[in-house]
Amino acid sequence: MISYVYYPGCVAQESGKELDNATKFVAKKLDINLIPMPEASCCGGGVIDGFDENLKLFINGRTLALAEKTGFDILTVCNTCTLTLSEVNEELINNKGLLDKTNEYLAKIGLRYEGRVKIKHILYAIRDDIGFDNLKKKIANSLRGVSIAPFYGCHILRPSSVVKFDDVENPQGFEELIGALGGEPLSYVRRTKCCGFQTILINETTSTSLAGNAILEAQEKKADVMVTPCPLCHLSLDTYQTVAAKSINKKLSLPIMHLPQLIGVALGGSYAEMGFSRHNISLRPVMAKIKQNRF
Amino acid sequence: MEFKVRSYRFNPEIDDKPYYKEYIVQDFPGMTVLNALMKIKAETDGTLSFRRSCRSAICGSCAMKINGISKLACKTQVSSEIEKFGMIKSNPLFNMPVVRDLIVDQEIFFDKIKKIKPYLLGQRDNEEYHRFHVLREGEKIAQPVYHKSEFQNLTGNDDAPNCILCECCYSECGGVVGNKNYLGPAALAKLYRYSEDPRDNDKNGSRLVNGSQPEGIWDCIHCQACEEFCPKGISPVKAITKLHEKAIKNSITFSKGAKHIISIAKSIGETGRLDEVKVAADTGGIAGLINDLPMAFGAGLKGKIPPIRLKLIKDMDDIRLAYKELDLEEK
Ligand code: FES
Repeated sequence: MISYVYYPGCVAQESGKELDNATKFVAKKLDINLIPMPEASCCGGGVIDGFDENLKLFINGRTLALAEKTGFDILTVCNTCTLTLSEVNEELINNKGLLDKTNEYLAKIGLRYEGRVKIKHILYAIRDDIGFDNLKKKIANSLRGVSIAPFYGCHILRPSSVVKFDDVENPQGFEELIGALGGEPLSYVRRTKCCGFQTILINETTSTSLAGNAILEAQEKKADVMVTPCPLCHLSLDTYQTVAAKSINKKLSLPIMHLPQLIGVALGGSYAEMGFSRHNISLRPVMAKIKQNRF
Repeated sequence: MEFKVRSYRFNPEIDDKPYYKEYIVQDFPGMTVLNALMKIKAETDGTLSFRRSCRSAICGSCAMKINGISKLACKTQVSSEIEKFGMIKSNPLFNMPVVRDLIVDQEIFFDKIKKIKPYLLGQRDNEEYHRFHVLREGEKIAQPVYHKSEFQNLTGNDDAPNCILCECCYSECGGVVGNKNYLGPAALAKLYRYSEDPRDNDKNGSRLVNGSQPEGIWDCIHCQACEEFCPKGISPVKAITKLHEKAIKNSITFSKGAKHIISIAKSIGETGRLDEVKVAADTGGIAGLINDLPMAFGAGLKGKIPPIRLKLIKDMDDIRLAYKELDLEEK
């Protein structure tokens, strides 16, 4: 059994609760021990340095120090959390001045950070720590013939000086995982583009047109489902899909899964266990297709 | 080694629509993509059009999409592209109209650079002294001398001034894809560079105020593509983030974007979490909330509406202390 400190991030604990549930389901099936960290704070949603750079260091330095105390690495399920924690980690490891300053604050709350924690997104934790072979052994539902569009989003790939999981110009980790699950990864251009979430409340049309065009491309290429490793992308792609359709003036209806939901389904998870009823776009058609495949 | 170049071709004067043309090229050691294109132009097809000048990654002319990513052709090795993609696929830069083949119309890009006033504003106090005049007998030219060590102080940072205006960032920018009027990374990195320049005499904060208008600093979608694909190692997105911080610290908070970040900071300061409902309400005001109501109801019916009152994280006092230490409590 492998253990991680689990950092679900805010959305997975609020509107995206189904992601948290699916992650726990997958962890159980794959013998992953998720150590909860109820003290952990929000990472700042990728924008908190625009308010105060040091605040980003302090609150995330605290999260890293809390994790370090347990002796395990952090497991994330959100791109933006992954990037923010990794950024702060790099800064603290490479800049002694910043580390000292952060540790001064941490000392006051009885913590200290040495720079020993690694941040792993579940996508790459499965590839690197669990292994596709082990994953394959646990498959209970066949995804044969299901066309799955991987939507990487941004912060799991860029900047590659900080998040170093994959080749930023031509990433393959997501496709490999889909392949290992028995599905058919769809190739399309916008798989590594932005979903626009960061400005969804600031400039809705800009933001949703990005999500809309990505959905449209996958839909035109006959995807059965789009999958994302990030709950923020999921909000743009699923929750706002109706708005996105309007902003690009096209008909859109593509179900969007969180990555752990896709893995969960392959490992035998049901419609209810994956919390699909919480989605905006119905998962029934793709689930019906998967069911037909019953071994 | 022989390899394939598949290039976008379009001459609006004779072609109805764009097409791709393939060329087989023989490489030589250290061959760049620009070398390959120049070889094609010299030996196979003189009509293939592209911009180039310095051939050493300094003039910024030869930017184009190479295997889907905006790069300087003169800085990109053929061998590494072939290794990864098996061929060279060349396309014009994105987000700008095509003039011909790999050449784009740069006017929109430079208009946006001009918009941020890429020069020092205002008058210096001793302006009279510096004005051009015929030198009097024995008078020396008065010119400020800056030492290299002062460079960073002079320009506010050490990377944005290195921009070669190649447009790679602009071509990759998701913000521009979504909104053609968005100023984009290069112009905003320049805005930051001037706003930090101590020689700039922007007395009333006009740079930050103008930059905070729609289509300015708050329209960045944080996709990180500008930093990732800048061939000179500049990070426009970090410059934009610094502008955000500077605007908020100077109380220039009329924009939705500033309200958004302040609300997130407030929410974390109060609960340790990002309160989705509150942040939505604060950012858009009442209008924003009404605007998002159909969405919220749609999500609500499916049980997806976030909890109205959030539980505080454990040891919330730690976070409060961080705000206190950084003197952020009032904001
Ligand atoms: S030719 Fe000058 S940058 Fe490539």
